[in-house]
Amino acid sequence: MSEKGVSKRKAKVSQIPYAIVLIVALGAFINFLYSKNPNIAVALIFGLGFGYILQRSRFCFTAAFRDLWLTGSTSLTRAVILAIALATVGFTVIKFKAFLAGAEVIPGNAHSIGAIGIPLILGGIMFGIGMVIAGGCASGTLMRVGEGFTMQMISLVFFVAGSLWGVHDMTFWSKLNVGVPRIFLPDTFGWAGALLIQALLLLGTYLAAIWWQKKKMGSTE
Amino acid sequence: MKEYRLDCLGEACPIPLIKAEKKMETMAVSDVLIVMIDHSCAMKNVPEWARKQGHNVDIEEVGDGEWEVIIEKVK
Repeated sequence: MSEKGVSKRKAKVSQIPYAIVLIVALGAFINFLYSKNPNIAVALIFGLGFGYILQRSRFCFTAAFRDLWLTGSTSLTRAVILAIALATVGFTVIKFKAFLAGAEVIPGNAHSIGAIGIPLILGGIMFGIGMVIAGGCASGTLMRVGEGFTMQMISLVFFVAGSLWGVHDMTFWSKLNVGVPRIFLPDTFGWAGALLIQALLLLGTYLAAIWWQKKKMGSTE
Repeated sequence: MKEYRLDCLGEACPIPLIKAEKKMETMAVSDVLIVMIDHSCAMKNVPEWARKQGHNVDIEEVGDGEWEVIIEKVK
């Protein structure tokens, strides 16, 4: 293939010295945090790891839901389904262990069993429109700010502003969530049943994603 | 064989993909399109889309975080 029109590679300044300085500074910062509160230090290490993997793998939650309609590609959709399947196994172990130990509140359940109500539906629609226009969801926007993409720095400012606005009006939104269902699958189907139903749903979605791509693009790659 | 350049610098994904898709439709077989991008997500989905369509694709990193995706229309 002809490549005569390709621009000349620009002179590259090595960024490795900056990386070394950054890693040393981060190490010192994590050490400092650890002396104050070990949990924050561990959270930072996990956050850095998550960000690194997200950036290197070009994992994009927005594209996972958007490319279905745009190109018909479902490779990222399937990646998200696999990630949820893996997370399901891990979270089930943590929650089931706490359940066996007779924990009064299962870890993570106190605040995160979401209410299935109007705010959820409205929020989902607004977030969906916003993330496609901004070219990234929350993690994607943060990652690209780190990469130096200017447009997404503006997205981040308004992402924060929007979140604060949402929190400010929380009393209003909570009123709409009175009396709507909050479902924790193991309460309804038992632990084994919940795991089975989740696995079947994920498998079904995965197969549907393959079928969708085949129909839209004619390939299952 | 003609060669087209598409400047998508500063455009977030999926704009480069849509622009490339539209441009490819107007091109003849064996024409070459060079898409200039600086959004890492587009660096993944533009080549992926073009390959799945069956075109020849090459990626050149012309600077830090700046790429040129070369697509040769084959059908």
